[in-house]
Amino acid sequence: MAAPAATRPLGLGPIGLSGWDGLDPARTRGRGWRDLWRSYRTAVRLGWEIEANWTDPLLFFVHSIAQPVSSALILIVMLEIVGGAASREFRGYVVTGSALWSIVISGVGGLAWSVLDDRETYRMLRYLYVSPSDFLVVLLGRGTARIAIGAMGASITLAVGIALLGIPFDPGRVNWPLLAVSMVLGLAAIVAGGVLMAAVCLHARQEAWSYPEAAAGALFLVTGAVFPLAVLPSAVQLVGLAMPITWWLAAVRLALFPDGPSSLAGTGTAWAALAGPVPPDAGQTLLALLVTGALGVLAAAIVFRASERRAKDRGLLDQTTGS
Amino acid sequence: MTGTPARSAWVGRPTAGPREAAVWSTRRRVVTELRAVRGRAYPRLNGLFREKSWLLFEILLPFLTTSAFVFVYRALEAPAEYVGFVVLGGAMTAFWLDVIWMMAHQLYLEKHQGNLELYFTAPVDLMSVLFGMAVGGLVISSLRAIVALVVGTAVYGVTFSVTHWLLLAAVFVLTLASIYGLGMILASLFLMWGREAWHLTQLLTEPIYFVSGLNFPVGRLGLLGALAVATIPLAVGLDAMRQLAFSGAPSFGTPPPEIEALILVGMTVVYLAVARFSLGVLERLARREGRLTLRWQ
Repeated sequence: MAAPAATRPLGLGPIGLSGWDGLDPARTRGRGWRDLWRSYRTAVRLGWEIEANWTDPLLFFVHSIAQPVSSALILIVMLEIVGGAASREFRGYVVTGSALWSIVISGVGGLAWSVLDDRETYRMLRYLYVSPSDFLVVLLGRGTARIAIGAMGASITLAVGIALLGIPFDPGRVNWPLLAVSMVLGLAAIVAGGVLMAAVCLHARQEAWSYPEAAAGALFLVTGAVFPLAVLPSAVQLVGLAMPITWWLAAVRLALFPDGPSSLAGTGTAWAALAGPVPPDAGQTLLALLVTGALGVLAAAIVFRASERRAKDRGLLDQTTGS
Repeated sequence: MTGTPARSAWVGRPTAGPREAAVWSTRRRVVTELRAVRGRAYPRLNGLFREKSWLLFEILLPFLTTSAFVFVYRALEAPAEYVGFVVLGGAMTAFWLDVIWMMAHQLYLEKHQGNLELYFTAPVDLMSVLFGMAVGGLVISSLRAIVALVVGTAVYGVTFSVTHWLLLAAVFVLTLASIYGLGMILASLFLMWGREAWHLTQLLTEPIYFVSGLNFPVGRLGLLGALAVATIPLAVGLDAMRQLAFSGAPSFGTPPPEIEALILVGMTVVYLAVARFSLGVLERLARREGRLTLRWQ
């Protein structure tokens, strides 16, 4: 008859190693959400350190705002050159879109750049992958730090627009609940875009640094970021209406500038053909953002898991490239 | 022992020792440098055929970004030549992005890959290595620029009005020469700055696009535009090409293209000379301190 487990000497596991009490299956399963949260928090901190501690705070601040402010200034000069009433009307429109775009770029690029950084520069991707932390959670944490920097750039660009470029802004007229809900839903959709780009970059070579910005640039065309969708061909407008970022931008504009021009409505637009000449209200905009965003998140999760399996199968997680 | 030199283990000719073997003929030096250019361009060109995704991400999608600015002008009902400005600017960004991402940033990446110490110990000039990178990168960026110009012209109906083809071609070549010269300087600076390189690369996109007048005549920026014309090759090259490709378009007070071509000649000479000097300093530091080429430093 076998001896009961309780009689086994403490500190000597099944193979007789001192200080090891045998395999605890619960440790391999982890502690669920607590472990995920801890991984996420650590990844956010690591991401922030990588992004922020490379220089002094002043240069970091300049670096964070230079890109979005310059993008906005390019558009402002374009408006000024053409002149006319349209340019004055569009000033708030383009500054808002341009400012928010820094969040899109940092969100779409953040996760992908983390993959490339860890694989090509720091060569830590393989270790991160085999660590007990969930790989996707680690990437999300790293991406969060970049989104925070993008959000800082967006806020300062908006502030510059209001303070120096004469954009009419009344805090009393801002629809704060709409702004809060649209930001939450919009950020989820943007992060989904980041997960998709990370899935692509798991399979791309070192020079894929520019891929996220290229992808974001293509979205720039179809989402009405700096011009109304009405000027695009109808088929392209339909593509834009399927993008959650289009609805996020529309919702934020509606919340910040309730009387500003709509990016979706207008004579002959795809929106007018689908729903009539009246621009979408806050409820319709949020509903569309929710539906398209949920589909985007689902697609991103499926594509990322498939990409991860393929990368693991082909040994791409620890492969460095170069050209 | 006789005084006749034995066949050397270091070179394929009889020499008295390693010191004599290290003395190369001019022909041999030139051939080796050309081999270095070819050797460094090869992986970049070969990589194109191994990784097809660049067709989408580096040619098609950037064209869509350029298109977005075309539609901004269309939404404002701007004159037709402004759309041409955007298309021309979009084409030239391909070369600028190649310089900052695939040249300025590259030595820093090579350091992390462990190649940089090989470059320093190889009997070739670092400029040949960088030139090889430029040749390889030029293929991608030229394709991207051609697509932007051809498709932009076809889709958006841009009409070029060129009166001085020869000058336009000369300005284009000079712009590339000065941009790549600047890229070589940045490559050495970024290597010395270390981890800041990646961030500084990002800092050289949108802000440079703005001060270079990517989508509008740079003269519209006043003093800032004048400073850009005097220091940034993308700014002066774009402005000269814009004046030559769209005769009669407003220039907002910038110099005529002939003068801008001379500015580009000056920039090319100065930037290449500074690049040579800074790469020499880099090589000396790398040999003396031994840290510059080490990973994680």
